[in-house]
Amino acid sequence: MTEFLQFLVPGILIGGVYALLASGLGLIFGVMRVVNFAQADFMMLAMYLSWALFAGGIGMDPFLAMPGIFAVFLLLGMAIHWLFIRFVIGRHENHDAQVILTIGLGLIFQNLILIRYSSEPRVVAPSYANTGDFIGDIFISRARLYAFLLSLLVAALLFLFLNRTGTGRAIRAASENWEAATYMGINIDRTNRIAFGVGVALTAVGGAALVTFQSITPFVGLRFVVVMFAAVVLGGLGSVSGAFVGGVLIGIIQSVSQVWTSAAVKNVWVFALFLLILYVRPNGLFGKVQRAI
Amino acid sequence: MTRRLIPFVVLVAAVALLNGWLYQRFHVRVLTLAVVWALAGVAWNLMAKAGQISLGHSAFVGIGAYGFTVLLREGGMSPWTGMAIGMGAAAVVAFVIGLPTFRLKGFYFTLATISFPLILELLVSHYGEPELTVPFHPENQWKFMEFSNAHTYVWVGLGMLIVALLISELIDVTSFGFALRAIRDNEVLARAVGIRTVAWKSAAFMISAALSAAMAVLWVKAVLRVTVAEEVFGITVVIVMLSVAFVGGVGMTWGPVVGAAFLIPLAMFLDDSIGEAVPGAQELVYAAALVLVALLIPRGILPAAGRGCRWLATRLGSTPGSPVRQSLQRVVAPPPRPSPLLSVPRRPRRPAVLPQAGEAPVLEVDSVAKSFGANRVLSDVSFTVAAGTRVGIIGPNGAGKTTLFNIMTAHLRADAGRIRFKSIPIDRIRAPRRYELGISRTFQVPQGFGLMSPLDNVVVAAIGASVRHPVDASMAMLERVGLTSKALGQLSALTVAETKSLELARAMVSEPELLLLDEPLAGLNEAERDRFFGIVDDLVAPHTAIVVIEHSVRSLVRYAESVVALDEGRIIAHGSPDDVVSDPRVIEAYLGSKWMERARDQ
Repeated sequence: MTEFLQFLVPGILIGGVYALLASGLGLIFGVMRVVNFAQADFMMLAMYLSWALFAGGIGMDPFLAMPGIFAVFLLLGMAIHWLFIRFVIGRHENHDAQVILTIGLGLIFQNLILIRYSSEPRVVAPSYANTGDFIGDIFISRARLYAFLLSLLVAALLFLFLNRTGTGRAIRAASENWEAATYMGINIDRTNRIAFGVGVALTAVGGAALVTFQSITPFVGLRFVVVMFAAVVLGGLGSVSGAFVGGVLIGIIQSVSQVWTSAAVKNVWVFALFLLILYVRPNGLFGKVQRAI
Repeated sequence: MTRRLIPFVVLVAAVALLNGWLYQRFHVRVLTLAVVWALAGVAWNLMAKAGQISLGHSAFVGIGAYGFTVLLREGGMSPWTGMAIGMGAAAVVAFVIGLPTFRLKGFYFTLATISFPLILELLVSHYGEPELTVPFHPENQWKFMEFSNAHTYVWVGLGMLIVALLISELIDVTSFGFALRAIRDNEVLARAVGIRTVAWKSAAFMISAALSAAMAVLWVKAVLRVTVAEEVFGITVVIVMLSVAFVGGVGMTWGPVVGAAFLIPLAMFLDDSIGEAVPGAQELVYAAALVLVALLIPRGILPAAGRGCRWLATRLGSTPGSPVRQSLQRVVAPPPRPSPLLSVPRRPRRPAVLPQAGEAPVLEVDSVAKSFGANRVLSDVSFTVAAGTRVGIIGPNGAGKTTLFNIMTAHLRADAGRIRFKSIPIDRIRAPRRYELGISRTFQVPQGFGLMSPLDNVVVAAIGASVRHPVDASMAMLERVGLTSKALGQLSALTVAETKSLELARAMVSEPELLLLDEPLAGLNEAERDRFFGIVDDLVAPHTAIVVIEHSVRSLVRYAESVVALDEGRIIAHGSPDDVVSDPRVIEAYLGSKWMERARDQ
């Protein structure tokens, strides 16, 4: 039992971060029905920015840097939407263009970073990175605990944004019924742009929360892309709150699987679960609703 | 036929010329890789013919690579035998992967395919060997595919590429290709005209997987020489396949050949010249190609070039007889007619049934109910339709009329109740089989296979019904509805009335025994409305039963022999047209209770 808890608790903690990563992807899909394969590469970029701020002489703590990272990626996301994504939205005849565009963008990010920073793994190690506390027999890593608490905070802010602000309500309206939203005078292009920016920024903050316990390479996103998709599909494609719950569940499964199999194959469980969900409940664990919240 | 032969001749000539001319190791390597990736792209593109984007083909490449390497190391087996076994294994895995996802629409297939290579790579690396060297067997060059002359690999690759291209061409001109294109354009409609979408997609996926496994053996033997899990199962394999296919022409047989001829040399020469300083140069080529194609020419170079030539033909050669125009028009000849291969006589799946007096009704609907969540759309709907009769269904918007049709054609499943067609219970029979049994329909919002010609739209329906000579039958049907001149044009060029006629031709080519028409008169003008039912009567066999949903009560009353009135999912009147339209409940449903009260007061 203790062994189980020793895996369960860190699972929940990392699951919080996965939830944050996935909520960005879920928001983008919910609002503009774009499956963004570059999402994990935005996460990778945020990890490098976080590393650069920490290791690049300023020594800025990754958690303190987060508001700045959010702002930078909000703008970057909006720019990417304006430059590329808006041209492949609403081509209803196929998703092909969206798939290859976002794959291509992700690949460009990866290789630009490879060219600039090489493939050498980078680490961000603030003083609390390797410390933790015992509660009973269970060790709780400081870095992971902070990351988890941060995720809860961001989730609360996201909830307030989507429910209490005009822009947030417009985003929700667009995700529920795109066409009706345009009839209500919602500027769909602007809403999409903001939603894309916010979605990218959410994942970026999630990436920055990972850096204290995850080494950074240009191809780190590859490992997370299926984790994010699994969380989003688990919670029901297009649902932000679903993606959040899905993220936590994925974290738990990934971690608890180590009770039975080696840590090296923990992602096999995630991938297998992802497939199982696609086959058994393609609309997610919580049913058929495709909404943003 | 020659039109299809020319690209093969050009390909063989080009590769032969280069293979003879190039002598530097690196140049031969580039040529080999171009052939290898063209082969991989052709294999990947088979699924794209059905509009399915796979991001998991590296699973099959990995299976092919590991399969033959292990068999060669452990059993001394020839790579050729290993290739055959790997192809079989890849096809089986493809079947298993495909079956659950092919029932889902949209990008679920794409999402599901991502995780297979990742799972296999992790399992192979952790429980197997992350890296296997291929043993060296110089004693028998051909048996062990161990050619001392690097040019021989190019010849072998060219042979395999030609086989793959022939398979792709064969698919294009047979009913297989028609089914895949129909699925790509409109999967719901494809099922409604008898195309067994899951079976066709599975078949395409299995062939595609097998060819990918074959390509892997050549890739490892000719270039890699070591089987590395990270490489053969890696995402880069998929990226290159995607790039060559999308750049050349997605779903098109020759697309990947064009794409590989452009991209592979570009990527490799760039890598060779600046790869030291810029490690990701090769990948950036593919990435840039994907982004540019997505934004500029979403279907690839070949279709874009075709459009360009057509534009030039109209611009340059203003005089019809000018040589420029003639030669350009030869390049952009009209879309190819369906091949004679389609006319192979087949065994009809449905025996012709002649109506006999006292026979059971064609259609028996018994206590059908359907809800969407808490919203009850149909409750306890029962009626029968006798052979050769015409039944009208009327009712205000939202009465459940189209839902009823969708249940009859298995696009929706009823919550309760039974439907029998020709006394056969059909509740558990899926849409394509119901069409084969003899139920055809048209749609409230006309449906079509958007990228196919009007003729091909009908041919798909004829193939779905196993009509003996699908092309001839379709052409004859188009002639009867007056669309001969538009048969080979663009679907989008048809007027509303012509689209309705096309829907009718498509529904009638199977010679159905039950024809369901969903608001056939909507969008037609007065003259077209008056003509429409005349065309229908002209097309149907005497024993065909017709059920029509129509808002134009006036037209329906003249046409139908009996009318069913629905309101809020219930039958409120059923009988002769005159009785039903004068029934107070029907008038109330249409015009509201207030109108009724006022009418009574006066």
